[in-house]
Amino acid sequence: MLGYVPLGMAFGLLFQSLGYHWLFAPLAGVVIYAGSAQFMAVGLLASGISYTEAFIATLLLNSRHIFYGLSVLDRYPKRGLSRWYLIFGLTDETYSLITAKAPRIASSHTYYLYLTALNHSYWIVGCALGAGVQSFFEFDSRGFEFALVALFVVLLIEQAKMMNDRWLLIVALCAVFVAHLLVPEQFLLVAISLCLIALLVRPKRDSLNG
Amino acid sequence: MDNQYLLGIFVVMGVATFTTRLLPFVTLTKSQSHPLLVRVGRVLPPMIMVVLVCFGLSSLQIESLDRLGLSFIALTAVTTLQLSMGNPLVSILVGTGLYTLGIQWLGIS
Repeated sequence: MLGYVPLGMAFGLLFQSLGYHWLFAPLAGVVIYAGSAQFMAVGLLASGISYTEAFIATLLLNSRHIFYGLSVLDRYPKRGLSRWYLIFGLTDETYSLITAKAPRIASSHTYYLYLTALNHSYWIVGCALGAGVQSFFEFDSRGFEFALVALFVVLLIEQAKMMNDRWLLIVALCAVFVAHLLVPEQFLLVAISLCLIALLVRPKRDSLNG
Repeated sequence: MDNQYLLGIFVVMGVATFTTRLLPFVTLTKSQSHPLLVRVGRVLPPMIMVVLVCFGLSSLQIESLDRLGLSFIALTAVTTLQLSMGNPLVSILVGTGLYTLGIQWLGIS
């Protein structure tokens, strides 16, 4: 869980390269609350992206969250304010913590809420620390952008551990290759779509019990 | 340095992120577990991760052979550490640390 502080700090440090007031970094943590999207935002903001483009890019990057929701659908409360906050805070890390433990009956909603709020606050503190430190001491932050790649690699390894049919990762790599060849500018969208199409075309090869 | 633009982007990205997290909750009110949906939900996220790793690498804008080598070393470090220790924090810090050192100390550009 504490992993959120250093990762948030890396975002804060990078964010400062844009030249805004450092308090905007924790604000991003409050409002967006998505590690990878915030890292991407630094690059997008630097290139002066439009609102529409930022919306689409974030949807794509976070499209994996749609499937996280699917697997916690029955565990989350059906109504109330906490439901909306829990959904808002369903990040990669929160998801893996929640699905790592079997749901306990009565206390589980409180536990989820506690977990989500704690993760969120760690993240905000991390963002503030990184940006604050950077604005007072002015580090050389060249190279920190690698944190985003490292984060994705870690998530990939953790998610692949729970997968039976790992040959699909090769399929995904081919999708990237094809998408990059055809539309280098939009390869993220095209590659993700190709992956989905591949799954729908061959629904169950060595499948559910395999 | 337009604060309004920055806030606008934050809000737009916040809404987009919330949309992706909210979608299954509003479209599937009951526990519909169609096998295809379950399967897609299980295997698509790691596939998307493969795409995102490539996306992240492409955003590093590697333009020299030295930088390519440095990225390869950092990637190998992250992968090895994560597979052997399974501590995301250590893997990310060491990988990013190596990459940063390579750029800042060894002057790899």
